[in-house]
Amino acid sequence: MCAGVEKLKMKLKKILGVSSALCLCATVAQAQETNAVEQLQQQLRQMQANFEKREAEDRQQIEALRKQVELLAQKPAAVTNPVVAAEATNSVSPGLFKELSDKVDNVVEAQKKSLPGEFNPAIGLVGDFLSSYHSQSADKMGSARPGGFDFWARSVELMASASVDPFAKGWVVANASADAATGESTFGIEEAALQTTSLPGNLTLTAGRFFGEFGRLAYIHDHELPFVNRPLALDNYIGGESRTDGGQLNWLVPVDHYISVTAGVGDQFGGDSPNPNNPGNFRAFYGLNFWGRASTFFNLTDNWQLEAGVSGMWNPKTQDRGGLLLQPNGVTTFTEKERRLAGVDWKISYVPLRENQFNSFTWGTEVLFSDNRFFINPDVTIPSTGYEGSVGSLGLYSYVNYKWSRQWSAGFLFDYLQSAQNHDDETLAYSPFLTYAWTHWNQLRLQYTHTDRSAVSGLKPDDAIYLQWSWIIGAHAHGWTQR
Amino acid sequence: MKMKLFLAALIAALLGTTQVNAAKVRVVATLTDLADLTRNVGGEFVEVRSLATGIEDTHGVPMKPSFVPLLNRADLVVLVGFDCEHAFLPALLEASKNPKLQPGKPGYVDCSKGISPLEVPKSTDHSEGDVHPFGNPHYMLDPVLAKTAVRNICDALVAVAPEHEADFVKNRDVYLAKLDAKFVEWQAALAPFKGTKFVSYHGHWHYFAQRFGLVYYGTIELKPGVDPTARHIEGLVSSMKADHVPIVVREPQFPEKVPALIAKQTGATLIKLPIMPGGVPDTETYIAEMDYIVHSFVSALQK
Ligand SMILES: [Zn+2]
Repeated sequence: MCAGVEKLKMKLKKILGVSSALCLCATVAQAQETNAVEQLQQQLRQMQANFEKREAEDRQQIEALRKQVELLAQKPAAVTNPVVAAEATNSVSPGLFKELSDKVDNVVEAQKKSLPGEFNPAIGLVGDFLSSYHSQSADKMGSARPGGFDFWARSVELMASASVDPFAKGWVVANASADAATGESTFGIEEAALQTTSLPGNLTLTAGRFFGEFGRLAYIHDHELPFVNRPLALDNYIGGESRTDGGQLNWLVPVDHYISVTAGVGDQFGGDSPNPNNPGNFRAFYGLNFWGRASTFFNLTDNWQLEAGVSGMWNPKTQDRGGLLLQPNGVTTFTEKERRLAGVDWKISYVPLRENQFNSFTWGTEVLFSDNRFFINPDVTIPSTGYEGSVGSLGLYSYVNYKWSRQWSAGFLFDYLQSAQNHDDETLAYSPFLTYAWTHWNQLRLQYTHTDRSAVSGLKPDDAIYLQWSWIIGAHAHGWTQR
Repeated sequence: MKMKLFLAALIAALLGTTQVNAAKVRVVATLTDLADLTRNVGGEFVEVRSLATGIEDTHGVPMKPSFVPLLNRADLVVLVGFDCEHAFLPALLEASKNPKLQPGKPGYVDCSKGISPLEVPKSTDHSEGDVHPFGNPHYMLDPVLAKTAVRNICDALVAVAPEHEADFVKNRDVYLAKLDAKFVEWQAALAPFKGTKFVSYHGHWHYFAQRFGLVYYGTIELKPGVDPTARHIEGLVSSMKADHVPIVVREPQFPEKVPALIAKQTGATLIKLPIMPGGVPDTETYIAEMDYIVHSFVSALQK
């Protein structure tokens, strides 16, 4: 046994010497050329393989000898004498072993850090292109895009994210989008936010420009939607994405069941809101937007899941948002005074544990209630003491999506909307869609949409076919919100 | 005065409860093999939960919100590393709001520490598919490298609960000895088949093949995470015929159709092998899983 140990010590010393040299070499080589690194990697791998092999052999020897000793001593040493047992396997030279393994670790860790994946910040670029045919002209659809044949580079998004310091991470999404009406490229910052990573009490604070948490799909970028266009209710009630300049606090309720609660306050809420809310000379606190959401999750079975949430948004003072309500006399207008929005949403999904990359099903629904309150236009000299009009309206969308292979999925989206300005103005839309994901960075989607608009709107029904091509290059996160 | 007494009682009660809770180290392992190793090392002093049940793909564990409270309350998260869990773990850890488990913190137990990866890519360009950017992460199918994971887990447990160091170290060594004995057995069982070539759906088997002297011939999928094209299948079948590849391995989370077709066209034997404990029935522990894998190879090759 002694001779064996001595032999091992010699071997370890030899490896230690070489590995320290390697350590030094590796650092220099990294700065120079990859060839040398590869060679060293090769060597190191070889050496570690040898080391592991030798170690395994020696352990076997030790184990065999220990068993003999146990037999001779007629007592189970491993159980009754942990210290001795521990030493029996490790006593070869614990210090030396530790030192050696630390050195090897350092070399390996250093190599890992030189990989391209370690670039900081992580940068990704997303392209989203649409080609479409609409049976109706733009004025009959109330659309900014032309009817008939159309090509539209809807957006090109550049995303960058990184840790700011040990306490926060930050991200920016810059969007070069083609203006729907002019086709002019406009460059805008869609998101630029900081988020804490180590607040106590299960809290996370997000601040800056970001998509506020309301409902399920309002804070997801266009290209991540399961269908081509943002549901009508989200477009009309929220104004596209739930973009805001503000702050938002999220709390994970500290119980065994998943419950997440979010509350936020900010300037405008909704990507298409034309102006900041109540800029004026001096803004009271209630001149801002307030929103919140609570959501939870249930495992119905191993493979079936339910997520559900309720959301609310309140904008107590909206005069400067530009909302006007024209009265039937065609003269009097009411000015939007207050905006309230409530929503419930649920998603039932089948995500088989085993083959979820090849097979899944989702049914998602969101129902929104909008309550817009209007004052009589102050320009008209009619004395007013309260709300002159209030429009309550309902909007919803519901979709199913079935995936039957790594590449193919198909689904159906139903849209229903009562206009936030006039609940008699109803729109219904039916959209079957088919998605082909070449890979998860490159996907094509074919969608047909039939839109029915009520006569009140003065618009006409429309049939449309879309072909969407979206792709990602560079880094992309499998984010929590996109799950 | 009464208030003070009340507060003192409250504090004592709170401390008491935290101490009861702290009695066991709470560990969340991403995969079932790591959970099994942690149970073996931690013994009665740990409470281990695994995110995967065993039948999932190692890269495709569903990101369930119910995992968030588990991670929120854990002392350690034990993971494979080499970006194996990149599709679900980073987002879950962020949502968990547990500062102890964030990358770089002692509670983030990357079991690949000290393992030099095979197949480190020259580039992470996506023309190569969803490449494993840090090298192949499937080292757990090599029982010798699994020992490194056992040691990493033990070190992490000792760091978080030093009062149980003696037990952890003892358990570790008992388990390592068991694994060593098993390894000798597995080596002996596979020794007659040295040089045998085999293919599989995903590149899970490089470390396994290297350790046991088998030859990993190639993947059925075109690139990591990209399904095979007809041309790739055709090419694979003809070269497998020319090189006499006798085994097609199918990991159960991938569809059987293509592997079965390839086996049929080449005359190779199709075997279904788990990639972690629980992947097929009667493989609930790491050792049982490796037993199953080795015996499946042996019985397929003895035919
Ligand atoms: Zn893999």
